[in-house]
Amino acid sequence: MKIPKFAEVARGARFDVRPLQVMVPVISTVIALGIGVLIIASTGASVLGAIDAFWDGMAGSDFNIGASLNRAISLALVGLGFIFAGRANLTNVGGEGQIAMGGMFATAAALHGAGDLPLGLAFVVPLVVGTAAGALWGGLAGFLKAARGTNEVISTLLLSFIALPLVYWSVESFHLLRKPISDLSSLPESPEIPDTTKLPLLFPDNGSPLHIGLLIAAVAVVAVWLVLKHSPLGVRLRAVGLNATASRRAGMRTSLHVVLAMTVSGGFGGLAGAIMILGQQFYLTSDFSSGYGFDGLVVGLLSRGSAAGVVIGALLFGFLRSGSINMEISANVPSAVVLICQGLIVIIIAGSTILTNRKASR
Amino acid sequence: MIDEQMAVFIGSGLRLAVPIIFAATGEMLSERAGVLNLSLDGMMLMSAFAAALTSWATGSPLAGVAAGVVVATAVAAVQAVLSVTLRANQLVVGIGFNILALGTTTFLYREIFGPLSRDPIPGLAQLNLPWLASIPVIGPALSSQTGLAYVSILMVIVTWLLLKYTSFGLAVRAVGEDPRAADKAGISVARTRYLGVLYAGALAGLGGAFMSVADSNTFTENMTKGAGYLAITAVIFGGWNPWYTLAACLLFGFATALQFLVPALQLDVPVALLLLLPYLLALIAIAGFVGKGRQPGALTIPFERGG
Repeated sequence: MKIPKFAEVARGARFDVRPLQVMVPVISTVIALGIGVLIIASTGASVLGAIDAFWDGMAGSDFNIGASLNRAISLALVGLGFIFAGRANLTNVGGEGQIAMGGMFATAAALHGAGDLPLGLAFVVPLVVGTAAGALWGGLAGFLKAARGTNEVISTLLLSFIALPLVYWSVESFHLLRKPISDLSSLPESPEIPDTTKLPLLFPDNGSPLHIGLLIAAVAVVAVWLVLKHSPLGVRLRAVGLNATASRRAGMRTSLHVVLAMTVSGGFGGLAGAIMILGQQFYLTSDFSSGYGFDGLVVGLLSRGSAAGVVIGALLFGFLRSGSINMEISANVPSAVVLICQGLIVIIIAGSTILTNRKASR
Repeated sequence: MIDEQMAVFIGSGLRLAVPIIFAATGEMLSERAGVLNLSLDGMMLMSAFAAALTSWATGSPLAGVAAGVVVATAVAAVQAVLSVTLRANQLVVGIGFNILALGTTTFLYREIFGPLSRDPIPGLAQLNLPWLASIPVIGPALSSQTGLAYVSILMVIVTWLLLKYTSFGLAVRAVGEDPRAADKAGISVARTRYLGVLYAGALAGLGGAFMSVADSNTFTENMTKGAGYLAITAVIFGGWNPWYTLAACLLFGFATALQFLVPALQLDVPVALLLLLPYLLALIAIAGFVGKGRQPGALTIPFERGG
């Protein structure tokens, strides 16, 4: 077999791999976006027109900038959850299900009681409830991993496929969250949440939908960075992820750490879902989480475990998504181009681990 | 009345099971060689689209099936380079391919079929074997299948024979259990794993093509709806044994078909909850509460010679 030659060359190459840790995500993003532009050109659409529509959707107005940032907030939270679990060598690919559970329970809390709470608790309580729902969904995968040895990649995927019909069920059933049929519409969606439960806007005067989720996300970024890089818990998670057996012999409760890592990871997804409902959408639909799970996963992968990387990736994809939606509307170029770019980024990065991580084979 | 609905239920259960049977059977062989293809869903989706497109362009559903197999095998080849040669994380690569396949097929569908959607695509004909149809209850459901549905059972038999009675099957099992020992015994780990992944790709291609040119005679965006993930869990559920895997696929197919039977029988169960039933069963299965198969020793672990 001749093919492994490249592998041997790559392994034997004597250069410092550290710059590659940064270069690989950057280069793969550039390649993927380049291919995206080529695909747009191949449709016969005007590339400049598409890029113009793209730019307009991303940052053409205060409203669009705010909407892009709101999107980035949710992606950053899912990405933080991904790297938190990743610290313990766990791969949480169930962001979509955790978002869905968080959004659904936050809506339920906002509609049933939280609206009358004083002192800003009206929106804090649904946020907490949504976070808890996501944490439970993620923690379940952690529990199955710790107790039954179930691979968390497959369990989190399946849990997403279970969560989405649950949301559909909740907005389809009148005795759950579906709004009563009125003259105007009978769509399967929840009623709008009370005004008191909506997240306060940061700039209420200029029409930007940017809300205080930005501050929540900023705090979360710093907290995750501190915990993962500068706390005993971060060290223990890393130890458990690197070698569970040795960690156990050293007296660590590995099962507890696995469950904890997945619970926190899912909690970030749940918080993201709650913020999406309370921040901009204001009512629950069956597909409100669509695409956010994959986007958040890609953000987490791109960041290579760094909280700062999550911020950059979330901003990139937050603005890309907004741009692609406008591109589809005004330039008639399918927004699926962005999915193609994302898939390519994931594949290129995964295929490059041989360059960036010489121990990847073990 | 009840008989009629049972026949419809059995027929749709079988039709829903066939793509999973194809994909799971190929995947089982690949996993026995140590490679997990989480990209199975993407391979099926790409194949479903290629088959629909080719059948629509040429008027021949068989050409569509062939195109589906070619495309899915090509995806598998790239996946094999990444999983085997570049020793990438098999799970992450798989997710990447699934995103890429969803984006590619959605994009091409809107570009090519956008203006003329809803046009039926030429599909495979049902066999309608009279002697089969005469069997009570299950007969009509069995005989109203396309030839491709019978091929899925044939592939289970072929795969079982391959694994059990051929030197290739021996190599597959050796490489999946203990690649180092297999390598010392002179078996090429890389070659065996490449063949395993390509085999999984070809069968996933048959499964995807079945969805578009045998079952629905159309292509819809994201039409696999996670069938590839169900196939992977069927392999785990079936304990990496071809016959138990087949049984798991049938179970998932019928669980999915319940969403048509229950409303027809006017039972008051929300359809939304029936939608999640197969995935819930799959989760319970992989959590090890049902069935206990031992997974191949080297599953998802890349092999590096002399490392």
